[in-house]
Amino acid sequence: MKQAAAAIAGSGSTPYYFRGMSAPQTQYELIGKAIIAACADAGIAIEQIDGLVSYAHGFEASNICEMLGIPELSYAATVTGQGGGSAGVLDLASSAIESGRAKHVVCIGCSQQLGAHRYGTSLASLATTPTGVFSLFAGLVGPGPSMALLARRHMHKYGTRREAFAEVVMASRDYALTMPEAIRKKPLTLDEYFAAPMLADPLCRLDFCLETDAALAFVVTSAERAQDLRQKPVYIQGAAHGGGSDWGRAFFWLNMKDEIFASAGAERVARQVYERAGVTAKDIDVALIYDHFSPLVIMQLEDYGFCPRGEGGAFVEGGAIRPGGAIPVNPHGGHLSECYVIGMTHIREAVEQLRGVAVNQVPDAKFALVTGGPAPVPMSAAILRN
Amino acid sequence: MKSTAPDITQIPLPIDQWTQPFWDAAAHHELLPPRCADCQTWRWPPTPFCPKCRSQAIEWLPAGPARLFSYSVVHRPGPSPEQPLQLIVPGLVEFPEAGGMRIVAAIIDSEVEQIAIGAALNVNWVPKDDTNVPTFSLA
Repeated sequence: MKQAAAAIAGSGSTPYYFRGMSAPQTQYELIGKAIIAACADAGIAIEQIDGLVSYAHGFEASNICEMLGIPELSYAATVTGQGGGSAGVLDLASSAIESGRAKHVVCIGCSQQLGAHRYGTSLASLATTPTGVFSLFAGLVGPGPSMALLARRHMHKYGTRREAFAEVVMASRDYALTMPEAIRKKPLTLDEYFAAPMLADPLCRLDFCLETDAALAFVVTSAERAQDLRQKPVYIQGAAHGGGSDWGRAFFWLNMKDEIFASAGAERVARQVYERAGVTAKDIDVALIYDHFSPLVIMQLEDYGFCPRGEGGAFVEGGAIRPGGAIPVNPHGGHLSECYVIGMTHIREAVEQLRGVAVNQVPDAKFALVTGGPAPVPMSAAILRN
Repeated sequence: MKSTAPDITQIPLPIDQWTQPFWDAAAHHELLPPRCADCQTWRWPPTPFCPKCRSQAIEWLPAGPARLFSYSVVHRPGPSPEQPLQLIVPGLVEFPEAGGMRIVAAIIDSEVEQIAIGAALNVNWVPKDDTNVPTFSLA
């Protein structure tokens, strides 16, 4: 197996807040706190940061640099896109380390939804363009109904049942029971799932992820340097961000060929990340799967090769994503139950699993897969190891 | 229960040079999506280049019969206590004779229980500004 060039040496986070409850802190204040925590965790000084990486979510390296007094940046980059790029920050950071552009790169993610600004209605602001307006005229006001189109097609083609969506949510809820900061911390029964209000049939309210506020940051440095720092290194074995015109703007486009329409669109990124890491799905011990909508977890399990195309529903209904199952998924409770920071809590959980300190530790976890959201290109993934 | 048309009165209709011919035809109740004039590849939405051959030449043509590729049923609070619930159906409308090109549009005035993937659809025009917005109903 190839030697990893870069490693995550530090992980930091603000507390997790329900939507809007992080006020009066600003987004930049949250980010600053996460960066300070990540540097303290790694045992480096703020002055040693020379790279900043994020993905498109409304904040700028300039503000962060100025706010925290970072003396010199030699690398500042952003993964473009809308939600798909979260794991891609690790690809950019390791690119910077491998190429020698920077020595200590901080990856940042933040979510803050104040007042009327809610992701649940995000299409309304994104779609008022000559090509996007058709989605609004169709009644696609948020990402949920668009995902419902994919989910319905998956049910139609493969016989996937709502019981499978329910299992993704129930498994997430069971994992979240022991997570100290989980927002939804109550067991969920199948009857309760089916009694939940339908929002965008076939998706009920419980199939939607949380809307929460927090910032997280990760210090990435060379594998060699990480061995001298405070924490056990978590190596970036492979990372990728990409995609193609066959997926394009995804649910803003909806003209994907039938073969991949009922998927999470991640087959290309899956191939890239496995090739780079030199491993396959069989080697992965724990999967941190971007769970903005429960059916998309099932489709990603197919895209990333944990089960054949079309069999994801039966796979999860058989207990595969539970403790001791074929591939434990989101032992932190994920976006559905713990907290939603656009993929960042998945990176944190992967780090904790591979340090061996996770609350719901997967025994002897060696390899963790982290995925970015099924979303417009680029989408992203990373494989970490200890 | 029948599906309701989404309220589009508050949604502005931005038009650029690549979508203008579509809306010009829609003003006359003609559904004319774009096809590449060089390689005959249909595309949606109207954009400056053919993604297959990069030509900018477009012809605007009838796309043939429509059928439902996928849909959602969005539950919304209704306008009054007598009508506590509205069902809005975003649909993905496929044109098999136009290379399987799809247009996203509301499925209106249709019995929701009867809406199904593969159902044949007819276009319904809803007035908007100086033109009309395409919606569809069960044929």
